[in-house]
Amino acid sequence: MVWALPPVALLTLFFLYPLALVVQQSFRPDGGGPSIQPYTEVFASQAFRQALWTTVWLALASTAGCLALGFLLALVIAFVPFPGAKAVARFVDVFLSFPSFLITLALLFVYGGVGMANGAWTGLTGAAQGPFQFLNTPWGVLLAEITYFTPFVMRPLLAAFSQLDTAQLEAAGSLGARAPRIVRTVILPEALPALAAGGSLVLVLCLNEFGIVLFTGAKGVTTLPMLVYGKAILESDYPGACVVAVVNVLISVGLYGLYRVVSRRAGA
Amino acid sequence: MSIRFDSVTVAYDGDLVLDSLDLTVEPGEVMALLGPSGSGKTTALRAVAGFVRPASGRVFLGGRDVTDLPPYRRGIGMVVQQYALFPHMRVDENVAFGLKARGTARSEVRRRVGEALEMTGMAGWARRHPRELSGGQQQRVAIARALAIRPDVLLLDEPLSALDAQLRSGMLTELARLHRELPEVSMLYVTHDQIEALTLADRIAVMDRARLQACGTPQELYRAPANEFTASFVGGANLLPVTVGSGGVEFAGALVKVDTAEAVAGARATLCVRPHLVGLGAGPNQLTGVVREIQWRGATHRLYVKVGEHDVMADVSELRNPPRRGEEVTLHLAPDDAVLLPAGVSHG
Amino acid sequence: MLVHSRGARWALWAVFLVLFLPLFALPLLVVLGASFATHWSSVLPSGLTLANYRSATRGEALQALVTSLLTATGASLLALAAGTWAALAGAALEKRGKRVLDALFVLPVAVPSVVVGLSVLVAFSKPPLLLNGTRWIVILAHTVLVTAFAHQSVSAAITRLDPAYEQAAASLGARPSHVLWRVRLPLLLPSLTAAAGLCFALSMGELSATMMLYPPDWTPLPVLIYAATDRGALFTGSAVAVVLMAATLLVLFAVSRVRTRASYR
Repeated sequence: MVWALPPVALLTLFFLYPLALVVQQSFRPDGGGPSIQPYTEVFASQAFRQALWTTVWLALASTAGCLALGFLLALVIAFVPFPGAKAVARFVDVFLSFPSFLITLALLFVYGGVGMANGAWTGLTGAAQGPFQFLNTPWGVLLAEITYFTPFVMRPLLAAFSQLDTAQLEAAGSLGARAPRIVRTVILPEALPALAAGGSLVLVLCLNEFGIVLFTGAKGVTTLPMLVYGKAILESDYPGACVVAVVNVLISVGLYGLYRVVSRRAGA
Repeated sequence: MSIRFDSVTVAYDGDLVLDSLDLTVEPGEVMALLGPSGSGKTTALRAVAGFVRPASGRVFLGGRDVTDLPPYRRGIGMVVQQYALFPHMRVDENVAFGLKARGTARSEVRRRVGEALEMTGMAGWARRHPRELSGGQQQRVAIARALAIRPDVLLLDEPLSALDAQLRSGMLTELARLHRELPEVSMLYVTHDQIEALTLADRIAVMDRARLQACGTPQELYRAPANEFTASFVGGANLLPVTVGSGGVEFAGALVKVDTAEAVAGARATLCVRPHLVGLGAGPNQLTGVVREIQWRGATHRLYVKVGEHDVMADVSELRNPPRRGEEVTLHLAPDDAVLLPAGVSHG
Repeated sequence: MLVHSRGARWALWAVFLVLFLPLFALPLLVVLGASFATHWSSVLPSGLTLANYRSATRGEALQALVTSLLTATGASLLALAAGTWAALAGAALEKRGKRVLDALFVLPVAVPSVVVGLSVLVAFSKPPLLLNGTRWIVILAHTVLVTAFAHQSVSAAITRLDPAYEQAAASLGARPSHVLWRVRLPLLLPSLTAAAGLCFALSMGELSATMMLYPPDWTPLPVLIYAATDRGALFTGSAVAVVLMAATLLVLFAVSRVRTRASYR
């Protein structure tokens, strides 16, 4: 019991206490007395509502995309292995150790205004502009988030698949079940815990994602973390930043709590 | 050094896993704790080692109450089924671990490590890592490691069950030799294998469902088991439901002459007969039945003979012309070879 | 195993490649390609050059690399120490206490990094702990952010550790401190190095909290990459990004070498 105190004390000093200060400041406009005025102001602003909506739908859509794509890719790696499938699985691990904004940086070259896709199009057709102009829109962020976060779904899935007894698949196959049916009745139930765990983790990470959005540099795409950054650093509106921060924390911690419960239930 | 359990009770989450165990292991004695899995035998051993805290009762080592002592202050040697050799240390470092932990002088450590490895026949492997050794060798190192600290008490928890049958009988001989070389060390030997218990132990404590069922020398338990569980777990036995008559018992309509001195006439009881003591053909206490099954087991034939409502097993030396299934045969048993037990589950 | 017909298998592999290559392999290749180029307005980059690397390995870029390496090393070592301590202490607690401790230490994962940055900024911009404007506030924020990951992976390793080892050690007369130093920590070493590698990589790529906190004289690589792309110097930015990836991979590789040697020799 005594041994748990020093790390808890450090965590309190450097994490919990600062977080509490943020909450406190969110109720104190300009160093005055306690007030909910910062909240009413922020909630009333169009920018905040827009950011909240963008954050939530982007996170939900990215998570859905990551789940579908991750499941499909992991399925092939695990059950229809090809030469080099192991290397691909290793590559997925390496991918996880790179920062997210690299993806946006790369997409700038691929789909940017004068990037390779548009360049190839204008070169072929002689048109003045290429057709790929989505990078500065939420769709660009969506593509980047799906790309970056899919490995977060694949990793627990691959771990779960490696636990799956291949004898089960063979038994199902010998009983005459075809591949789609095996996937639906044998593999999917086994993968559900990993899907749930990976999916909720990705949802939280997407809600909190900052680098991808910052690098996109689009004025039209503002998420809650971007709003916190903008209010605090660019506008020096600390109470406002703190309000947005509190909202963001409530959403993501709430979801993360859910994720922990789900993954514990699933024994993952 | 003696080991004494004084009504030791252990419960996990309200489940009794050891129910008020009273047992004493004398100094220098080998006591086997024999029972099926879940019988509480390992829990009893772990209570001596200090890894399990009794809910009530005390554990004594050499007369000293050690119930509240942490494991590292009990001075016991312990060998477990999976060896638990430290994978990041060489064999000699493993064996030296306990001595170094006590701050033994370096020259003494070297001497004692050499001695322990010599005794277990592992001196040539001192500089290897555990993963380079076979299962049997790892078990020897585990024993050497436990012996290096010169414990007065050695706890062995299913030490041979991870080995294959041939290695197991070799190690059994080795353990018997070690015990002869270290006559003052008391050993508590947990096993589910009756052969190990019968071979090695001075006395056997039979455990079932968290309770001590019987305790005695192997011969006592084998010849005169105290109850049905002990009879069937130690050696295997015919357990026949009988009614006590005068001068014998009634079984399947026939009178079987046995010693009924301690039984009340008219009471229900269980007659316990070892299968190899049941003879084929005419003799005392004849029983007639139909062969239901016959198995050839090399040196013997095992017959399952239906007598009345019950199967009687008989192990007889290999027969030149074994009876066929369905054939009527006569069995017999000597009055001295049958033991009358209190009625139990066989009356169902 | 799952798909027996040859045709179906090839079709699946084709789908896999069509999805996998453009999505995952292409971005990394593109950044790599761009780092050697000055123009990219058709299928392939043009104006091949090493100039980007010349500027990515000197002056402020070199400074930023050193900054990042120092920050990541410092943060991951501190996080490893704190996380391991918490995980070991947690393992000794009863169920409820352990659950509370786990939840506390996992919280920084759920809190947005930007908010961690903001909170550290709010808390340490005034006495008694005035860290704002120093490098320490960056290292501190990184440590807070990665401690959760260190704690999680060490904690998982401790639950996987067979209790038979520590029990064997205890039965041989080793007191708990001796068991910790001679048995548990050496056995945990592979997981500890893995956790350190994870923390290092996360800290190397950390941008969100850093953007809120970095002082002018302590600019880590991700901030520099952002600054470069923000002013349109995409190709220089790519070269710096490749340097960042290479440095991360090199350290991860070195760490995994240590790990192989540590795992049961």
